[in-house]
Amino acid sequence: MSEHFPALIIIVPLLAAFLIAVAGWVNKRLCFPIAAASLCVSLYSAVRLLGIVLESGMVEYQLGGWPPPWGIAYNVDHLNGLVLVVISAVALLNLVANKKSIAQEFPEKIGPFYTLYILFVTGLTGMVVTGDAFNLYVLLEIASLTGYALIGIGKDRAPLASLNYLFMGTIGASLYLLGVGYLYLVTGSLNMADLAALLPQIYDSKVVLLAFVFCLTGLFVKMAFFPLHAWLPNAYSYSPSCASSLIAPLTTKVMIYVMIRIVLSVFTPEFSFASLKISNAIVWLAVFAIIMGSLFALSQKSLKKMLSYVVIAEVGYMVGGFWLGNRPGMTGAILHIVNDAMMTLCVFLAAGTILYKTKGDSFDDLKGLFKKMPFSMTAFVIGALSIIGVPPTCGFFSKWYLISGGIAAGHYGFVAALLFSSLANVVLFFRLIEICYYEPFADHHHEKEESSLDEAPATMLIPLLMTAILLIVLGIYSGELVTNVIEFAIPGGIT
Amino acid sequence: MKIIGFIIVLLCGSLLIYGTIDFPGFGDPDAPASTYLSPRYVENTMAETSVPNIVTAVLADYRGYDTMFETTVVFSAAIACFFLLRVFKRRENDEVRHYRHIPTGITLRIEKGGKIPEESADFQRIDSEWVPHDMIVNTTSRLIIPFIQLFALYVIAHGHHSPGGGFQGGVILGAAFILFAVSRNLRASIRRMGEKVSAILCAAGVFLYAGTGFLCYLLGGNFLDYSALTGILGVDPVTAHSHGILIVEIGVGISVMAAMIWIYYNLSSVGKHDEGL
Repeated sequence: MSEHFPALIIIVPLLAAFLIAVAGWVNKRLCFPIAAASLCVSLYSAVRLLGIVLESGMVEYQLGGWPPPWGIAYNVDHLNGLVLVVISAVALLNLVANKKSIAQEFPEKIGPFYTLYILFVTGLTGMVVTGDAFNLYVLLEIASLTGYALIGIGKDRAPLASLNYLFMGTIGASLYLLGVGYLYLVTGSLNMADLAALLPQIYDSKVVLLAFVFCLTGLFVKMAFFPLHAWLPNAYSYSPSCASSLIAPLTTKVMIYVMIRIVLSVFTPEFSFASLKISNAIVWLAVFAIIMGSLFALSQKSLKKMLSYVVIAEVGYMVGGFWLGNRPGMTGAILHIVNDAMMTLCVFLAAGTILYKTKGDSFDDLKGLFKKMPFSMTAFVIGALSIIGVPPTCGFFSKWYLISGGIAAGHYGFVAALLFSSLANVVLFFRLIEICYYEPFADHHHEKEESSLDEAPATMLIPLLMTAILLIVLGIYSGELVTNVIEFAIPGGIT
Repeated sequence: MKIIGFIIVLLCGSLLIYGTIDFPGFGDPDAPASTYLSPRYVENTMAETSVPNIVTAVLADYRGYDTMFETTVVFSAAIACFFLLRVFKRRENDEVRHYRHIPTGITLRIEKGGKIPEESADFQRIDSEWVPHDMIVNTTSRLIIPFIQLFALYVIAHGHHSPGGGFQGGVILGAAFILFAVSRNLRASIRRMGEKVSAILCAAGVFLYAGTGFLCYLLGGNFLDYSALTGILGVDPVTAHSHGILIVEIGVGISVMAAMIWIYYNLSSVGKHDEGL
């Protein structure tokens, strides 16, 4: 069985999605157990697979039994092994946490919701596990299509936000597809490892250059890299909480993984960094992304929108760190994929539990929340501290690597942007914590109303608190994570 | 804003043109796309899968995994449509309805909150933008639909030998049903094939595809390695590939047909499943 783990990560949730779609018409109560069980299998396979990779190196799985490049192959190494665990863990935690709020928000559409949820996760894991450039596009389509639906079901302007996202996302995906088409045109192959072997002979071809540019631009759109970010804030803030706390931690992070994969494994570092002199320009764009993301976040007046802009700034961290092109920078970027997924999950889940109770997420609705929901707020504060980068939370360690990467590369603009964004986050979150700590002013003038404990249900709190604790655990063990996993994920040539 | 857009379009266009400088010649037999992978497909497809149509073999076998997810894309589109559009909670008389009294031919307009006549031989519900029954349209579609469906089955089954397969056949099957809905009305077609049936068929089709792949895994092969089906189908491994392709093509056909119909129901009636083209 162990050699089939790469396929099981995808196939079990996929089959479960179809079962859920049917169960939604037969017995709605079956939907959640099927979904949760399939994600458990997925998580178990991902963890075991990472164990196998750590022990014996890269794993290849040939789908349909056809050897690549004729068939499609899955290649799992240290990089995507790690990301796979993160995706399935985030998806499972979020699913369990949101069981109640899903039942509350979509009483009649539970079946389709879980189906889309599981398909979304399948799409993301499929993108990460695959070793085939076109297969990646197909799964990107699945993840995007289901993502649009999950966002579009939200209230107010959600359909419009989703439509915007659809337009931008389609353009991004088309650019990626065009890039892959160009690569096929000049090599005749779609397999990533095969492409990496074929491309060096034709690196001076203009088609290869364009393929690189198109793939990268497409991925930048999909990951909401600053000037191409316009779709993200509305899409994430109008979508229902149970969907946004799935999509926000995962989509951008997976797209950054794909960028790293394309840049390192399809093209080589020699091509992407040494012969194309664009890395410096991209880092400067990232600097811009971080600063603008933080500034926009400061100007927001509702919780989820503010968090959405924080996500945009975080994308800048990872893209910038990666394109520094040195080992600490890349380590920081990859570690930050893990950390940022967890801490975004933590704050979005906390926002979800708050919304579940308060029905509004503008800052005025949050007054006095510490007394009302102490546990949710504790988790939120831990998530906030991690985003700011306070030790021992995990956010500190990836930021440390990113900053030391910036210093090693002599890119002080990037270092300054990181420090600025940390300061901005301090202002951002402490302002929020202050609002939540104090009672509403009006209450002091009326009858002394007992602001009683009104916590979210335990099924929501336990996954949330687990996520918060994970942030600290990840921080404590980040040294082990770097030396045992991430060190091997970065090609040896990079120092 | 318009000027910026124009500049970006120009830039993108000139980049595309710039790239064509290094393109291999049009239809060049020495281009990498035709010399690298294609020869193996051309030479070995028949021996490895016993499918004469190479496109089908590449689509449903060599790269069958992609095709499974393409079908899943169709399924996702259908379920997304349902998820976003379908409206469930509706009172009986919250909007204007039209009925026709058949013996007299009089059309009744029933306002909101009005009393709705019971469905009987005398009263017939009609769409608000009603066009009189057209005997020619009705009869023609009744004549033509069985042949369309038959042709669709042929397209699905004959994908091994000629252009066609599950996607094309499924679309034709779906189109036949939509023609029925257009020539009568939405309610008549929903009575024929309800929403639940189309939803379940849509999932069942892809499940057949992915399930076949999973069966291959359970029988000891890799996922979607049809040669593992040898034992069940009672044929040699090469023929098992051919049969496996047929099974998944049927799955694709079912799924695409049901998705077409389901999307049509939701789109044409804006999720109300009541009136519509």
